[in-house]
Amino acid sequence: MNYPIWDVGGLGAGLVVAIIAIIHVLISHVAVGGGAFLVVAEIWSRRQPDGQRVRDWLHTFATFFLVYTTVLGATTGVGIWFSVQLASAEAISLLIHQFVFAWAIEWVFFLSELTVLYLYYYGFKRNTPRMQTFLAGAYFVIAWGSLVVINGILTFMLTPGAWTIENKDIAAGFFNPGYFPALLIRTVTMFLLAGLAGFLVASRIRDEEFKGRIIQFCVKWVIPGAILVPGLGYWYFTTLPASTVTILAGGTVGVVGGTLSALTRMAILAGVAGTSLVLGTLVFAAYPKTVNTIAAISMLLVAQLGIMGAEFFREMGRKPYVIHGVLYSNGLWVKDAKDPARLNGPYLEKAKWHGGVASGTLAHGEQVFRLQCASCHTRDGYRSVVYRTRNWTAGFGSRWLGTMHDMGVMPPFQGDALDKAALVAYVLSLRGETVDPRDLLPDRQATAQGDDLDPDGSGQALPGLEVAGAEVGR
Amino acid sequence: MQAREGEMADHMHTVPEEALKELPPAHKALGKLGRALLARFPVWPIVDFLRNKKVPEHRHAAWYMMGGLALFFFAIQVFTGILLMVYYRPAEPWQSVQRIVMEVPYGNLMRSIHHWSANLMILTLFLHMFSAYFMKAYRAPREGTWLVGLALLGLCMAFGFSGYLLPWDDLSFFATNVGLTEMEKAPGLGPWLASLLRGGPAVTTDTIGRFYVLHVVVLPLAVLGLIGMHLLFVQIQGMSEPDSFAALPACQKKHKKFFFDYFASEIPVWLAAFALLVALSAIWPRALEAEADPFGAAPLGIKPEWYFLAQYQALKLFPGKLEYAGMALMGIVPLLCALVPFFDRAVPSDRRGTWIERAGVALLVGFVVLTVWGWIS
Repeated sequence: MNYPIWDVGGLGAGLVVAIIAIIHVLISHVAVGGGAFLVVAEIWSRRQPDGQRVRDWLHTFATFFLVYTTVLGATTGVGIWFSVQLASAEAISLLIHQFVFAWAIEWVFFLSELTVLYLYYYGFKRNTPRMQTFLAGAYFVIAWGSLVVINGILTFMLTPGAWTIENKDIAAGFFNPGYFPALLIRTVTMFLLAGLAGFLVASRIRDEEFKGRIIQFCVKWVIPGAILVPGLGYWYFTTLPASTVTILAGGTVGVVGGTLSALTRMAILAGVAGTSLVLGTLVFAAYPKTVNTIAAISMLLVAQLGIMGAEFFREMGRKPYVIHGVLYSNGLWVKDAKDPARLNGPYLEKAKWHGGVASGTLAHGEQVFRLQCASCHTRDGYRSVVYRTRNWTAGFGSRWLGTMHDMGVMPPFQGDALDKAALVAYVLSLRGETVDPRDLLPDRQATAQGDDLDPDGSGQALPGLEVAGAEVGR
Repeated sequence: MQAREGEMADHMHTVPEEALKELPPAHKALGKLGRALLARFPVWPIVDFLRNKKVPEHRHAAWYMMGGLALFFFAIQVFTGILLMVYYRPAEPWQSVQRIVMEVPYGNLMRSIHHWSANLMILTLFLHMFSAYFMKAYRAPREGTWLVGLALLGLCMAFGFSGYLLPWDDLSFFATNVGLTEMEKAPGLGPWLASLLRGGPAVTTDTIGRFYVLHVVVLPLAVLGLIGMHLLFVQIQGMSEPDSFAALPACQKKHKKFFFDYFASEIPVWLAAFALLVALSAIWPRALEAEADPFGAAPLGIKPEWYFLAQYQALKLFPGKLEYAGMALMGIVPLLCALVPFFDRAVPSDRRGTWIERAGVALLVGFVVLTVWGWIS
């Protein structure tokens, strides 16, 4: 709540982060798995009767690999840093301060990884094959090491385990309950993705017999991962906090909800992505000459969709937190939420960045929106507030804000009655309704009870206003 | 009896042995059973036809896949549509959809796949149409294929329009109302057609009956018939070749066997399309809004589906009495598209062909700009 919020029009800061991150995950896993692919391919080439020809192809693969992982990987990697610190500055601050040595190791690994990869690539025609195998091996060990480190920080965000804001136990936070299943999933996935990248490079080979051998080599990298990942996903699922499981077991969108739980959706998507990869790879294995650029990119697209689903549902399961049980998505610390005076006191007085707006005005409401809602919602774009509050009346909104946290997916509202009134008036103004925030204060609303969607005055949301596990692009 | 066995043995010899060797492993695995089936059901000419069918290999060849993809999404539409029909009741439209969403196992998933597949089918049809246009696949002797394809696109958009009303929720009711009101304004057949579709002066549950019959009987029969014609024309006339490929000497032209080489290379594309469909349905399932209230206020910012947005936005550019001019434009554009094969005939392209290309670019840019404009406005 202490930092200015990045207000990204119809997309929202969260979606910008998600788009960059989903692309980056694919590239970064190819970057690690591709290292193992280079090592094994180097050794395999020496056993082939036409080893030099295999190594020539490997050089083509290494060119693609270098450009793809360093240019696109670095661009999207920096993009993530740029966007996440704007989207949730307090969460990034905590992660940096808590895992400062892990980040330092990560950056050393990253620089070493790049250095060794360039040594490998530019030494391709000068070094002996043994030296190249050694460099490829060194690259893989360092790259996987960076995965080992980042995995601890990423899994901490959803399953901090025994770590608390009071004990700040780094080991407990790093080797959290989700650490090992996630590490195994990522390791298996990176081998799979390396094989898919191999298909793409092999699709340009003209000699059908040679192409067939390279394709068969790549097939062995894909099949195990495609089969294992859904099963490992279940192991990961067993480590999730109970509240996350509850959210994922919740229904779906719209006024009537539905029986399609987020968990079912996640399982179906994982199953379809895994099965599609196996089937597509079997087609490639049976008919290597059919592997063309479009077909190979299609398989990478399937993997990208699988990653998108995994990332999306993991984010959904983390609601209403950014760091589970520690920091809410609206920048409120859980420890502060336990202090009623702090939680229900005037909000703008605590916020360092509020533009000096006058209390009880629409500008006040907009500031509350930007600081408390905009990290997840947009006005009328992705996760639209206008759409979600389409059934609100003037009296209903303030009461709903007071109880929204009870639904499980929304954080507690920070602020007093005037903050709520200003926010509601601002939200109503987005659909053209003019309301004076001061007219929405409880004393003036006493006579309005029963006129709206909340006859009992509990502020409990009607079905569909916000459903557990709900996700809709509007 | 012996004579009959002898006849069957003769039939079995009609399957060329060398051709069987070229079949994919799955067919080889059928062994004696496969041969026996082929002997009893002599479909060999069809298999032989597919085996000899060739697909030109050139840098624009990827666009050939759009037709197959549209057909793939149509097949999914038929499958999920049949499943939804099991529970859908035109007499209780909203309640039956609510039951599909709330009670029927995987009903919500099937409904979401049906929704997303419709959108992707229309998107691939647009891509198919524009790629055929720019590769000039409409030229003689393929005028019929082009016209049937245009009709298919129109029918599939009608599929979308008729299906949108069936859930009878707030959004579908008011969006359909807007569409029919616009249709009514069209001079000539407009009022009559709008009244025919509505079943009266206003959109009521009677309209549901008409839209339902249209959606599940009339349009599917028409589309299946036209798909059959479209495919038949393509098989008879072969795949079209862009000018750059057609101009090559025969020795430099490369072709791929349709069955099984080209077909196999399409399988990963279909798998990716299916994964995309499931991902969209899983992450953004189709919502069911409150039951339609014809006397209630229309939801805020109501808009038609994306494939009608360009037309919707274009009509907004013609306010008041100019609206008729806008409607005339809506009618002229498809008509001009239909006439293109009779205007641009020269191979390789002459000046007329160049103008057609420019008009196509203008149409494509206009369609995209108006759609995005309609979305964000």
